[in-house]
Amino acid sequence: MSGGPPKALQSTGPQSLRDMPHPLAGSSSEEAVGGDSTPSPDLLTARSFGDKDLILPNGGTPAGTASPASSSSLLNRLQLDDDMDGETRDLFVTVDDPKKHVCTMETYITYRITTKSTRVEFDLPEYSVRRRYQDFDWLRNKLEESQPTHLIPPLPEKFVVKGVVDRFSEEFVETRRKALDKFLKRITDHPVLSFNEHFNVFLTAKDLNAHKKQGMALLTRVGESVKHVAGGYKLRNRPLEFAAIGEYLDTFALKLGTIDRIAQRIIKEEIEYLVELREYGPVYSTWSALEGELAEPLEGVSACIGNCSTALEELTDDMTEDFLPVLREYILYSDSMKSVLKKRDQVQAEYETKLEAVALKKEERPKVPADVEKCQDRMECFNADLKADMERWQNNKRQDFRQLLMGMADKNIQYYEKCLMAWESIIPLLQEKQEAKRYPFIGKNQDMQSNGKKYQLFYSSFLILNLPSPTSYKMALI
Amino acid sequence: MEQAAPDPERLWQPAPLEPLSHPDAGLESMVGEETKGARDEGPGDGTMTENNFSLKKIEISVSEAEKRTGRNAMNMQETYTAYLIETRSVEHNDGQSVLTDSLWRRYSEFELLRNYLLVYYPHIVVPPLPEKRAEFVWHKLSADNMDPDFVERRRIGLENFLLRVASHPILCRDKIFYLFLTQEGNWKETVNETGFQLKADSRLKALNATFRVKNPDKRFIELKHYSDELQSVISHLLRVRARVADRLYGVYKVHGNYGRVFSEWSAIEKEMGDGLQSAGHHMDVYASSIDDILEDEEHYADQLKEYLFYAEALRAVCRKHELMQYDLEMAAQDLASKKQQCEELATGTVRTFSLKGMTTKLFGQETPEQREARIKMLEEQIKEGEQQLKSKNLEGREFVRNAWADIERFKEQKNHDLKEALISYAVMQISMCKKAIWDVLKDCAVLFFFCAPSGRKKS
Repeated sequence: MSGGPPKALQSTGPQSLRDMPHPLAGSSSEEAVGGDSTPSPDLLTARSFGDKDLILPNGGTPAGTASPASSSSLLNRLQLDDDMDGETRDLFVTVDDPKKHVCTMETYITYRITTKSTRVEFDLPEYSVRRRYQDFDWLRNKLEESQPTHLIPPLPEKFVVKGVVDRFSEEFVETRRKALDKFLKRITDHPVLSFNEHFNVFLTAKDLNAHKKQGMALLTRVGESVKHVAGGYKLRNRPLEFAAIGEYLDTFALKLGTIDRIAQRIIKEEIEYLVELREYGPVYSTWSALEGELAEPLEGVSACIGNCSTALEELTDDMTEDFLPVLREYILYSDSMKSVLKKRDQVQAEYETKLEAVALKKEERPKVPADVEKCQDRMECFNADLKADMERWQNNKRQDFRQLLMGMADKNIQYYEKCLMAWESIIPLLQEKQEAKRYPFIGKNQDMQSNGKKYQLFYSSFLILNLPSPTSYKMALI
Repeated sequence: MEQAAPDPERLWQPAPLEPLSHPDAGLESMVGEETKGARDEGPGDGTMTENNFSLKKIEISVSEAEKRTGRNAMNMQETYTAYLIETRSVEHNDGQSVLTDSLWRRYSEFELLRNYLLVYYPHIVVPPLPEKRAEFVWHKLSADNMDPDFVERRRIGLENFLLRVASHPILCRDKIFYLFLTQEGNWKETVNETGFQLKADSRLKALNATFRVKNPDKRFIELKHYSDELQSVISHLLRVRARVADRLYGVYKVHGNYGRVFSEWSAIEKEMGDGLQSAGHHMDVYASSIDDILEDEEHYADQLKEYLFYAEALRAVCRKHELMQYDLEMAAQDLASKKQQCEELATGTVRTFSLKGMTTKLFGQETPEQREARIKMLEEQIKEGEQQLKSKNLEGREFVRNAWADIERFKEQKNHDLKEALISYAVMQISMCKKAIWDVLKDCAVLFFFCAPSGRKKS
């Protein structure tokens, strides 16, 4: 896996504030933090090889074959410039260090939550507590109850089908940790939710269970009257923006669902391709054992294919770990948003009902009764809160998806760069002692031209003339 | 079968021109050879002159393929493909080429030519033909012989075959080959008239020899093993490669499904719309790029296939050696037994069991005259046998020498060609990777800008 935590669930140790990855950044920002140096060939070498060592036929890194600049680091620089917009923050929350706990009744995982803040609401500047998934679930429920007019970020799926997914596998735990981290960071970034008392308790309390028992006392007034009802409400005048958002969310969730399915299918196909590739490479080795002069070149090709296989495996892992979870998160987000919209509708319906009732009795009392006014207030508050949250959500969504797609593009580029490097490194090996001979060669020249593959010739010329690759031109432009 | 010296009648004489200095690479082939020390030709054959016999450059190409219908041997309608063979002679002064011959041939005629060469040049590793039927196919590739892609690849393979024959120092001088390129009608009859089919060794005979030969040249044993293993490994490689191609095709095509859904998604978005469109478009381009990639890979596969079939040709030379060696061993054995018989008759001792000995015992001794007659006959047979053995020995050694020379030539050719194939395979992969990176970057430029520049805070 690329850049993942070590196999055993160990503590990652204390991290300084500056080293903590940017709240909304994905894994691709690993290099972005503190990365402002010009990507050098060494950087390319170091990061392209990942956790698994690439085997080169001659051993060691090939001299003079690294591209002048890595396209992948180019993308990272672009993302970095955008993320760091110099906001001043006074609350930082991180989720890390998953640990397995084995008790008589059950086995579960806890995560360490580290909080750093200068806010007055926090007694100490720093906190470190351990929480498990059900604690997060509790927090979310509390937030929904206490802040019904706001959008609460989603949690990763609660239930997993036992036997299909291993709840304690490294990949699953890491995926969940990232999602939980994101969840807390979204709350942290929210101007209202971050000041919520339940959130504070979650971050600071030594014994959360004691607090859970006192739950009822912390409910605020708005929470009581909200009843979740399935189905819509008949409204006179649903404000346009909320109607539009509702429709949008339906289509949005649908499209994301389709993309999720396609992505899963791609991963499946890639795995099957990988199986064949893993058989393909070694056949060249077998052949190499028969040959004399051809032995080294064939062995080189075998190693090359092996390297490409490894690179593909890393890419597929990345897709599973980084791409799919974000899709799922937004699908869950859409669901929870739809239920908030319903609540809003309900509040509006209540108001409209009351208004109508008053209107019927209008002859009697000319003034608007207090409770109708209160209803109107409530509705307008709700609308305002929701509208603000919607805007925030849209912005975040844009950022997140842009980052996601760029991140995937980056990973793809990294994959191709690894393959490129592998193949480029064996060219000198193959060209050794090769002179132009007068043996006919199967229609090579005519074929390439007749197909008019401009890219092939284009790039071949780069190779032959040893020009820098197109990517460096791109960098020069920017 | 006798190993005849190159038969003048089967050679063809290029027109005399000024001597050419240096052979070039590429599509041209050199025909003929400088004959400063000309070979011994048959007596009375004056068609080959010594000093003004020089080089002529010709270009051979199989330029077109055409579907034809005709009647076959059983007078039934059939559809087949005919290939246009064009021969050009190059005036080396100005490099201009003049079309000298052009005719149409079908695959079966190529097969006939090759079978003929196999019979008359058993010591040569005869270049193989492209496959008769499409094998090692993966699901998208058609196994149909009439499929245009198959026909196209076959056309290239046939051209390559002709070029290889024409550039072989010995095969290029064969008259039947010359006629194949120049004489459209009647060529089949001419080939058959050589009676080569009769001269061919029977499969059974060859198989028998393989099992029973006692002392074949060690190098041929090794070569046989090598060619068997080469065949096996290249077949395996081609099979797996076909599966890899199949899977890769699947991966690319599924990416194509993204195109539509990204497009639909972009329709409901405001600022993100352009970026998503771009992503969708990228996926479509990506998905469609697989066709070119795999076409190039088929080309690589064809190069491997040629050497798969070459392994078979190597094997044939080994078989021929085994046959000749077995023949020799049988002749030696026969001679030895005759000598022994003769000796026994002369000295009157019967050491080995023989029918004659039996009948002698049963029916009485033969007369001294009869015995003399038999001894005389045996002595003649022995003398003949010794001559035959001598010439077979000579043939055998000459075969080994010539065959080994061609095998060395073949080895060099193989190493060179396969390295070239691997190089072009690597170059193919490299340009594919570079193109892929380029495409992603291009589309990323749009992606990068799809977010409204953030004056807003995110939270």
